[in-house]
Amino acid sequence: MFKNEEMEINLGPQHPSTHGVLRVKLRLDGETITHCRPMIGYLHRGVEKICENQTFFQGQVWTDRMDYCSAVANNLGWAEANEKLFGITVPRRAQYIRTMLNEFNRLASHLIWLATHALDIGAMTVFLYAFREREDILDMNEAFCGSRLTTTAFRIGGLREDLPPGFEKLVTKFLAKFPSCLEEYENLLSENRIWKKRTVGVAKLSAEDAIALGVTGPVLRAAGVPYDIRKAFPYAAYAEMDFEVPTKTEADTYARYLVRMEEMRQSARIIQQCMDGMPEGPVMAKLPKILRAEVNEVYHATEAPKGEIGYYLVGEKGSGNPYRFHVRAPGFINLQALPKMAEGGLIADIVAAIGTLDIVLGEIDR
Amino acid sequence: MNKLLRTLIPFDIAKGLSITGKHFCKVFFTANRRKVPFHIVSEYPEVVAKIQPRFRGRLTLLKDEQGEIKCVCCLACEKICPTQVITIEKGKKEGRKMPFPVRYDFEMERCIFCEFCVESCGFDSIILNHQFELAAYNREDFSLGMEGAMQNMYDPSPVGKFSVADD
Repeated sequence: MFKNEEMEINLGPQHPSTHGVLRVKLRLDGETITHCRPMIGYLHRGVEKICENQTFFQGQVWTDRMDYCSAVANNLGWAEANEKLFGITVPRRAQYIRTMLNEFNRLASHLIWLATHALDIGAMTVFLYAFREREDILDMNEAFCGSRLTTTAFRIGGLREDLPPGFEKLVTKFLAKFPSCLEEYENLLSENRIWKKRTVGVAKLSAEDAIALGVTGPVLRAAGVPYDIRKAFPYAAYAEMDFEVPTKTEADTYARYLVRMEEMRQSARIIQQCMDGMPEGPVMAKLPKILRAEVNEVYHATEAPKGEIGYYLVGEKGSGNPYRFHVRAPGFINLQALPKMAEGGLIADIVAAIGTLDIVLGEIDR
Repeated sequence: MNKLLRTLIPFDIAKGLSITGKHFCKVFFTANRRKVPFHIVSEYPEVVAKIQPRFRGRLTLLKDEQGEIKCVCCLACEKICPTQVITIEKGKKEGRKMPFPVRYDFEMERCIFCEFCVESCGFDSIILNHQFELAAYNREDFSLGMEGAMQNMYDPSPVGKFSVADD
C-alpha cells in the first residue's frame, strides 16, 4: 500500500486553516501530496432530522445554523421552498427587501472568505480591513432583524417586519464607502508578488471536472461556466435586476479570487438597484390559518454565496412537519473537489485549496 | 528591461505598504482624541456598544400598570419554541379572570434567541430585552423562573451580574 518514503499525516481537525473542524488525511511523498481525503462529520447535529420533527415555521432557525457565515441566504432558500410547497405569493416589497439583504449577506460572506483566505496564505492586513466592512453589514442585520449572525430574517410568506427607520441611510453610507474599500483590498493583493506566487496556477479544477463533481458557485464560474442560479432560474426579485455573472477561464485560485471580487461589485450594484426601485406596500402575504401543501414535494435552489443551496421538502397530508427534508449544501459538494485540486500539488498549497473552496463546516456536516 | 526593473524594485509591495501606512498615520495622529469617526473598536467594558432597538436579548416577562403579570397562559410561546425552553404551568389567582402562570420557567442555556415566542404572543406579555452579557458561574443561574432571589423573570438583569463592567 505504502511506497517507500511515503508518510501519512492528518491536517486538522484542530487546524486554524481548515476553517472549522475539517480533517484531511494526506499521504505525502516528500512535500508532494499523493493522496488526499477530507474527513467530515465532526460538527454533525442532524439538522435535517431535527427539522422533520418541527413545524415548517420553526425549521428556519436551523437553517441559520448550517452556514453561519451566510445565514440570510439560507433563510431565503428555506422560505422560498416553503412558499413553493404551499403556493404562497410574496408581496413585491418583501421580494425586494429579501434580495437586498441576500446581497448584503453575499458581501459579508465573501468578505469573510477574503479575510480568512488571505490570512491563511499570509496576508494579515486584508483580514482586518475586510472585517471592518463586514461589521457594518452585521450592524445592518442587527438593525433589521435583531441578530447579527443567526438572523432568522424571513418568514414563510414575506417578512416579519418592514425595514427599520433609518435603514436607507445605513445602506447609502455603506454603498458610498464600499467601492473604495474593494479597491483597497485589490491594491493590497491583486499585484502582490507573494499573493500571486501562492495563488496563480494553484489548485486547478477544470470545467469538466467541476461539472462532473457537481461543483457550483464561484469555483465553477472561475472555470469558465457562466452558471448562476440568479440568472438561470431567477428567484426573489433577481429577474428585475441588471447584473453580470463574472467568469474567468484560468480555473485556479487566483481566478476564483478575481471572480469573487467582481461578484462583490455586482452585489453592490444589485443593492443600489433594490434601493432605487423599492416598491411600497405590505411585506407579508395573507396566509391561510392552516398551511396545506399544494404539491407533495418540492426542490428549490437558490444561489448562496458558496454555490447552489437546494432545499428538498416533502409535505405530508394533515401534518405540520415536513415528512422529509434534505439540504443540498454547496460546501459539502464543493469539498468533494478537494482531492482533485490538491493531489499532485505541494502540501503548502492545500491550505490555499481549502481556502478557495470557501467551506463552512457547519453546513457540510449539518 | 521593464520586467527586470519590476523584479528589482517591488512596486507591488510598496503599493500595499502605502495603504497600511496611510491607515497607520490616520490612527497614529488622531489617537486619544475625541472625534475619531473611523475607529470602529471601542473599549468594551467601559464603553458599551450601541444596541439596535430590535436587538434580541434575554426573555423577560412583562407586567401591566397594576403590577400584574400580563401572561394569560395561552401556551403559544411554549408551543412555538424550536428548542422547548419555556415551561408554563397554568393556575388560578383570586380576583383575576384570566389564567395565571403559577410557573414560567425559562432555560436560557438552550435558548437560541429567535424571538418566535414574542412573535407568537397575542397579549404582548413577553419581550426579549437588550441584555447581551448573559454569562454566569453556575449552571442553575441559567434556569430562570418566577420565584427565588436569583431566578427572576421580570428584572432586566438576574443573569449577567458578573459583567466585567461592574467589577
